[in-house]
Amino acid sequence: MISLLLSILTNALPFLPFAFAVAISFNILRATDMTLDGSFVVGASVFAKLITMGVFPVIAGGCAILAGMLAGVMVATIQRGGRVDPLLAGVLATFILASVSLIIMGRPNISLLSSSTLVSSAFAMGEGVGFSVVAVYSMVICLIVMLVFRSNVGLRLRALGDNPQLLLRLGYSLETNRMLGFAITNGMAAFAGMLMSQTTGFADVGMGYGMTLTGIGAIILGRQLLVYTTHQVMLRIIGEFFTALIGVLLYFAIMVVLLRFDINPMYLKMCIGLMLVFLMRGVISYATTPLH
Amino acid sequence: MQPLLCIEHVSLRFPMMDKSILDDIHYHVMRGDFVVILGGNGSGKSSLLKSIDKTYVPTSGSILYRERNIKSYPLNQYYRLIKTITQSTVDSLFANLTIYENYQLFSGVIGSKTFHSTQELCDYLAEFNVNLASKLDQAVCYLSGGEKQSLLLALTFLNPPDLLLLDEHTSALDPKSADKIMTLTNDMIRKHHMTCLLTTHDLDIAVKYGDRLLALKEGKVHHVADIEQKNKLRASDLRELCY
Repeated sequence: MISLLLSILTNALPFLPFAFAVAISFNILRATDMTLDGSFVVGASVFAKLITMGVFPVIAGGCAILAGMLAGVMVATIQRGGRVDPLLAGVLATFILASVSLIIMGRPNISLLSSSTLVSSAFAMGEGVGFSVVAVYSMVICLIVMLVFRSNVGLRLRALGDNPQLLLRLGYSLETNRMLGFAITNGMAAFAGMLMSQTTGFADVGMGYGMTLTGIGAIILGRQLLVYTTHQVMLRIIGEFFTALIGVLLYFAIMVVLLRFDINPMYLKMCIGLMLVFLMRGVISYATTPLH
Repeated sequence: MQPLLCIEHVSLRFPMMDKSILDDIHYHVMRGDFVVILGGNGSGKSSLLKSIDKTYVPTSGSILYRERNIKSYPLNQYYRLIKTITQSTVDSLFANLTIYENYQLFSGVIGSKTFHSTQELCDYLAEFNVNLASKLDQAVCYLSGGEKQSLLLALTFLNPPDLLLLDEHTSALDPKSADKIMTLTNDMIRKHHMTCLLTTHDLDIAVKYGDRLLALKEGKVHHVADIEQKNKLRASDLRELCY
């Protein structure tokens, strides 16, 4: 049982900021930002490269987040003025970021197993301590983002997702706010990538593949359980956080349990996908209510 | 005195349509005018307002605002001078944000009135609708149609525009609420000496409010009346003249 829980936490905790970023991107900013996959890898790549160069882990972490934020700015710039379809802009940005990650690392993967990282000393004391530290990091970044979204800056970002045309009519800049929103979500994705590289012990160019879809899957699951809580506007961002948290835990619990039942990994994503289809039937009716 | 708004031979035609929506509209609006625009469905009333607020770009002709072509105004500057209120509050409010958050966003605009305490805000909102003051933390989407329209007026008049475009803004309301909103709108227009263009199908509103009349038919100017002529008209006359 403990090994099962540990297995769920190993996957879920570093992934939490990513799922929260997906929830913000899709539910609050109402943006189809597929760049998050790419930013996840960029975060891991920058961190791993700087660590191997002997940079202090905190500085390497800061640089990783910054790289993710720049990726967000890049995709917002590609979309600028609505000249490129948002979905296409995200795909293009991910395409570019795959090369960027390779250029940063200089090779397809970097091992961090023997390096000193933000969590290495905690893991040296035991897995429980290590994952507690990972949980603290995840919670802190999510808390900071929640505070940003409760501020005046966050209000404009929420307004951008709610009625961009009105925001423009009121004289606010859509491009600046979109850029800021994407910088925040992609920064979170990069943070998650960096955290994941430390818990798994390596950064790999392929580690971001399908992550956004996994994030969407997680928030769909979480939303089913928290379907009524996010109707309170004041608690909206907190609701989105719990949607991501419960969704991530549930998603990885299902995955780990399916693997324990010796389900062929080939069928794994198909099984989860089919389950999501059934759950989404509920989401569609939920999404048509005014607040979601 | 120069007109505030000059609509100079404006025509509007969408691709794949064989008929013009607006056909050579030529009309001048002076500062302080309250023009009521009448016409049947498809006469071009809303399209004219949408051309003025830059939603549509005329196919030919030009629209001058303060003697300057509206094309030359940057959007954010233009929307500070001109505001549009339609029957659909979905376009004009942040439906998933609270009343207070909507106030924060509307009052964040340069030149807007701001309140130093929640009580002052509540008192201001109560001038428009007493229910609003007790619902500051409620999402706008849960308000009634009348409350939404009152809130929109309250937020619009935080920063009174130079030119107010009202596109059948009371048509989705019950008669009592519509009457209340129209009285409120008229009081605010007079109080702030605003220039206003109002489209309506309600002939009683057309008789009671406004000081000039512009009737459109099939995209063309069908009838115009100044203040003296308009004051002599009754609802039955308008039905004859405009439809």
